[in-house]
Amino acid sequence: MNAVFYLLPVALLLSGTFLLLYLFAVRQGQFDDLDDPPLRMLDDD
Amino acid sequence: MTAHGTQPKTRACTWCGTEVEAGLAAGGGQQDLPIYCCSGCEAAALIVAGAGLDAYFERRELLPPRPSAGAVAGWDHIPRVALAGGLVQAQLHVDGLRCAACTWVTERVVLDSPGVVEAHVSYGTGAARIVWDPAQGDLLEALSRVQRLGYRPRAVDVAGTGDRDLLLRLGVAAFATSNVMMIVAALYLGWLGGMTGPYQVLFRWVVLILSTPVALYSAAPFFRGAVEGLKVRLLHMDLPIAIAVAAIYGQGLVATLRGEDAWLDSMTMLVTLLLAGRVLEQRGRRRAAEAAQALAGQAPTTARRLTGSGTGTGTGTGMGTGVEEVSVDLLAVGDRLTVASGEDLAADGVVTAGKGLMQVAMLTGESEPIEVGPGRSVVAGAVLVSGDIQVEVQAPASESLLARMADMLRDAASRPPLPTAADRLAPWFVAFTLLTAAAALIGWGLAVDLSTAARVAVSVLVVACPCALALSAPLTAHAGLGAAARRGLLLRSGDAVHRTALVDLVALDKTGTLTWGRPRVGQADDAVLRIAAGIERASVHPIARAIVAAAAARGIALPLGQDILETPGRGISGVVDGQRYHLGAGDAGVVVLTDASGVEVGQLHLTDQIRDDVRSAVAGLVGFGVGVALVTGDHPTVAQGIAAQAGISEVWAGQTPQDKAQWVADRRAQGHRVMFVGDGVNDGPALAEADVGIAMGHGAASSVLVADGILVGGRLSALRAGVVAARAAERATRRNIVRSVGYNVLAVTLALSGAINPLIAAVLMPLSSALVIGGALSVERRVRKELER
Repeated sequence: MNAVFYLLPVALLLSGTFLLLYLFAVRQGQFDDLDDPPLRMLDDD
Repeated sequence: MTAHGTQPKTRACTWCGTEVEAGLAAGGGQQDLPIYCCSGCEAAALIVAGAGLDAYFERRELLPPRPSAGAVAGWDHIPRVALAGGLVQAQLHVDGLRCAACTWVTERVVLDSPGVVEAHVSYGTGAARIVWDPAQGDLLEALSRVQRLGYRPRAVDVAGTGDRDLLLRLGVAAFATSNVMMIVAALYLGWLGGMTGPYQVLFRWVVLILSTPVALYSAAPFFRGAVEGLKVRLLHMDLPIAIAVAAIYGQGLVATLRGEDAWLDSMTMLVTLLLAGRVLEQRGRRRAAEAAQALAGQAPTTARRLTGSGTGTGTGTGMGTGVEEVSVDLLAVGDRLTVASGEDLAADGVVTAGKGLMQVAMLTGESEPIEVGPGRSVVAGAVLVSGDIQVEVQAPASESLLARMADMLRDAASRPPLPTAADRLAPWFVAFTLLTAAAALIGWGLAVDLSTAARVAVSVLVVACPCALALSAPLTAHAGLGAAARRGLLLRSGDAVHRTALVDLVALDKTGTLTWGRPRVGQADDAVLRIAAGIERASVHPIARAIVAAAAARGIALPLGQDILETPGRGISGVVDGQRYHLGAGDAGVVVLTDASGVEVGQLHLTDQIRDDVRSAVAGLVGFGVGVALVTGDHPTVAQGIAAQAGISEVWAGQTPQDKAQWVADRRAQGHRVMFVGDGVNDGPALAEADVGIAMGHGAASSVLVADGILVGGRLSALRAGVVAARAAERATRRNIVRSVGYNVLAVTLALSGAINPLIAAVLMPLSSALVIGGALSVERRVRKELER
């Protein structure tokens, strides 16, 4: 049960990393337009 | 009629696909070479080929619009933002994109322009972002290339920064909620297993730490909304939410310090759900606002001014008769402008010289171009279809009718949404919650002791939070707006959905609403049509376009008319098959083709025809008990004829705009809920008077202004689908209000009796929200079921 004392922070750190990635993506504008990317996936530029 | 011994060999124009006779076309007609119907198409294809984008021809799914020969309107007003490294960024809008390949080729062509380092064009919205190096090139060069392809760049008022702020807050809240849920699950299970001190302390502190950014950052919009509402003495849904969040977080802070149970898990969940609802609501609203703005259009941003005229302060000097191109901002009253065929007028004024035909559909919805001559007032945004005129400016461009309308539209788009049914319940909720909490405090305080009383009072504040109710309004409105929009009816707001659901009488305007609003070729001989189309193929006049479209629809190969002479008001003549023909107006709705000696060769009948799906749309509306009436300014016999074709029995003809508005007012006084559908300036009063005003997607900007919704795509069957969707959304809203109020009454009763604890709240709250979400999700399914029946 003592494992909780270090596993909990580790778990939060891991999920926190993903939160930061998400926040970064939003700031980059990756969620501004959700309609276009599907139409572009076959563009080979 | 000249006979053609053999059918000429035809090929499709490489750019726009119009059938042309080989050998006659611009650019030569040999089998393996590209062939073009006009120089505009050839120029467009050369731009694409020059940029190495030949792949465009293989990947396009829809043919592009025919490039316009119109003057390049100024794009000076597109806002530019300086970026790091000396680069400049502009955000604008491109109209006319029809398929993914259009987007692709537009983007590539812009990228290929000198100095451009980055270009992004969105197919979904037409929004474009261009970054360039001003030292090496210019935005205007890039935009004029796009224009020459046939797509139309224009400035936008709303730059698409989107809903990033809400998404950030939602992300933080969702992260906290998911982690808090795991931890509190352990805490609640710990009640059974006898969890010992250190673990409980750890878990509670972690929950508090995770909840803090949710209460202080994610929930900030609710606090702001509540405070702003209080300032203007308006209680809306944000207030009870803010009270609940503050109560729960305050209790959580104290409880964690004292080692007691907190309700923080309910709070994080609630904030997450509410923010998700807001994101959906905002996206739907923005889409409708953008559609309205696209319709409002824009006046050009430069004008050609005669130098030495008026009081202008441009760079031109001397009293010569030269022409200078100036920004519309520099135009002053008294300046004289010269406008050539195909150009837009930049400011309101009076014609001083010349004659021509002007298209004012954007302002009035009137499809027929009007003849203008000296002394006639003209307005900014009107297009000179043919001719050549000089105009004396009578008002600065910023005060033109068009500019004022654009301003009004911008105001309308930024206005906060009207209060919803849930918002109207909010004051009651606040009063109910605070009174019950006070009663609990006093009652339990007198009966037991103060600390128990405080605990019960807090639990009342917590469970009385109208989370489900607050979530219900944006979700059902979004579901209703979405279901209607997918079928062609863009409603402006959740409130418009509510009023649409109650409609029991639909009044339709005739021209442009029930009918196409533009002439279409009815009876005509193929040979006559071929010659007429050959002469008219380069003209932008609506009748010319109707003739060319009819010829294309019948699969007639278009000859290339040569030596074309267009005389405003008198018709057009040109040489086809080596012979000169003249095309001019005959009786009403008839165009007469004559040869060089004035002998009639044939006639074309042009009529404004009824839209294809009118009959089924009317039958559908009548089918579920909605009355349909035709209310038009037209002559009774014409109106009766159209009504008979459409299956409408109630006809009101000869109505002036005031009559129409009065007609609507009378019906409303009789207790009807009226929807008025129209497209012109003359429908404005009726659109504003009706419970729901619907403007046609191609209609006048002013009708769009006062309308609650826009019929896009011109399919009247969307009206029926829209009413069905609105009714389904309305039923879902009512169901949701009953469900969420029922939950609140139950929960508060439990709380008052002291029987509720954080675990029960944590189960009840999401359960009530899930019920509401389910109700909203069912709207689309119900609409589909009803429409299939």
